[in-house]
Amino acid sequence: MEIIWLAVLAVLLVGYFALEGFDIGVGMTLPWLARAGERAGEPGTRARHRDRLVAAIAPYVLANEVWLVALAGTLFGAFPALEGTVLSGMYPVVVALLVSWILRDAGLWFRRRLDGDTWRGFWDAVLCAGSWGLALSWGVALASLVRGLPAQPFDLVGLLYGAVVAAAFAFHARSFVAWRLSGRAEAARTGRRLLLTAVVAALPAAVPMAALASSLLDHTASPATLNVLSVMALPVTPILVGAQVWVWRTFGPLGSTGVAARIPSFF
Amino acid sequence: MNVLDLARTQFAVTGSLHFLFVVLTLGLAPLVAIMQTRHVITGRPVFERMTRFWGQIYVINYALGVFTGLVMEFQFGLTWSGLSHYAGDVFGAPLAIETLVAFFLESTFLGLWIFGWNRLPKKLHLACIWLVTLTAYASAFWIMVANSFLQHPAGTVQRGDHLALTDFGALLTNPSLVMAFPHVIGAGLFTGSFVIIGASAYHLFRRTADQEFFRRSLRTGVVWGFVGATLAVGFGYAQFGFVNDIQPNKFETPVTDTALVTMMTIGQLVHFVVMFGMLPLLIRDVLARSRWLHPLLMLMTPLPFVAAIMGWLAREIGRQPWVVFGRLRVADAISPGLTTGMVTFSFIAFAGVLGLLALVDYLLIARAVRRGPERVALGAAEPADPAPAPALAL
Repeated sequence: MEIIWLAVLAVLLVGYFALEGFDIGVGMTLPWLARAGERAGEPGTRARHRDRLVAAIAPYVLANEVWLVALAGTLFGAFPALEGTVLSGMYPVVVALLVSWILRDAGLWFRRRLDGDTWRGFWDAVLCAGSWGLALSWGVALASLVRGLPAQPFDLVGLLYGAVVAAAFAFHARSFVAWRLSGRAEAARTGRRLLLTAVVAALPAAVPMAALASSLLDHTASPATLNVLSVMALPVTPILVGAQVWVWRTFGPLGSTGVAARIPSFF
Repeated sequence: MNVLDLARTQFAVTGSLHFLFVVLTLGLAPLVAIMQTRHVITGRPVFERMTRFWGQIYVINYALGVFTGLVMEFQFGLTWSGLSHYAGDVFGAPLAIETLVAFFLESTFLGLWIFGWNRLPKKLHLACIWLVTLTAYASAFWIMVANSFLQHPAGTVQRGDHLALTDFGALLTNPSLVMAFPHVIGAGLFTGSFVIIGASAYHLFRRTADQEFFRRSLRTGVVWGFVGATLAVGFGYAQFGFVNDIQPNKFETPVTDTALVTMMTIGQLVHFVVMFGMLPLLIRDVLARSRWLHPLLMLMTPLPFVAAIMGWLAREIGRQPWVVFGRLRVADAISPGLTTGMVTFSFIAFAGVLGLLALVDYLLIARAVRRGPERVALGAAEPADPAPAPALAL
């Protein structure tokens, strides 16, 4: 039973990096990707390029970010002794991560709620800054975990690992955009590449997870609690997977001029 | 303020903000789902317009529920690690189930609903909003299970320095839960309906273009407002018996007494007004035609929000000084090693950012209401006249 819940924790963390990695990456590189689109001679202003890029990630964000909510829930339910120690042990890192996450989400939710390029430009900047904050705080957090929660997590090692996470997310984001905005002819090729970069984005989380796995096993909840969690949550797993698959089946490659690309996005 | 006061204030401020948005989410979700169902069944465009307009209000509000909820989820570990050490084996389970079984699905289905307009088949799209509603209620249920455990740690036994779970069923039939959960659901419907009533009254009063649309919305709001207020008031009174058994002195401090009396006064008064005033005036649309009453309806919009916050204050302050009633004191639950500086920093960050975003969100909701149903972004179809293809311009 302990092994099952360790696996759930690992799948949620690695899955979060593989999925939310491209959302964060697109947010981080929004100004550069938009400029690249402009340079490539694609029609529209830089602001409209940003709209297209955000519209590309929009339908996935809610389904992706919730992996981290589930990760935190699993940590609390199945590893309660660890939850308090880990989160309070990295207090400033977790606060930075949460504030970044909130700002990233606020950028997404608010950018189209008023007309005008100034409003949208402001929230795009918030979205970009929040995404950088997320990637860097994740790097600092993982480096801190592997080193046994040092008193000063924002040191060179932490920031360097943050840069590694940011680079992996940016790399993943480029291949996601190529896939989402590709036409039917290129979809298979860009799709294969997307799977590959998903692995790259997941690695910065998978490696620390593998290193920490055996020590995590010593901190599981009591067998009675794990039983309750298993009975309540595991039967629902096929529905969770099904809902995620439904998202990916509903929103596929847009093409740049197809009908689907012209439906206005809510984000 | 010392660390403990700061951490408590941080939790109270973020928790209250969270509930202000969640209570409206819980109320609007089923009402939007009902509107969309009527559209799918009758095929009448007015119901589609209602779904999109009120749905847009619902999702703008939803955003802040998520932002504040993230802080709530992580705050237990950040500032109250003593709680997870003492009661994590019990308290963690409903929270974990909430995230995995309820919120994970709610967020996924909401994404499908928001971005699936004009893309998913009509009936599947309708299924999404019902699934969102169902999982939102499930989410509220598990959060209430966790909260009720703090009020009354049923189904547990002390083993060494921590609580062990002995009877999961007792957590689910906790006397602190069984009446409080429908009370919260009623409060949600009550709040959602009063937002619909207030916004409809605004448009009816201003005599904007969509009179038929808002007459209908007003009717929906009043009917469901009556259902919600009845549930909230009924299950509110039903709690007193249990509360006297498990927390006999709960409402005897000046603060809890004031909060409770404020909530009950609003609840009873508004329930009375809905039942004997607004509901009968629906006959022949008298309420929609009585323009002089509309400013009053607009002024009533904040009342359910005030009542909801007062209710939580009474429930949570009435638990003090315990975090787990009778077992673990709040002072013993705070994370070791926290400094005033750390909590001041996080409090300013959370309260500052969330407070500003909440303000922006309410202004956006007010603006969406004012703009009316003509220009709704949610579910907007492909523009009838797409921009000319660039190739032609060359």
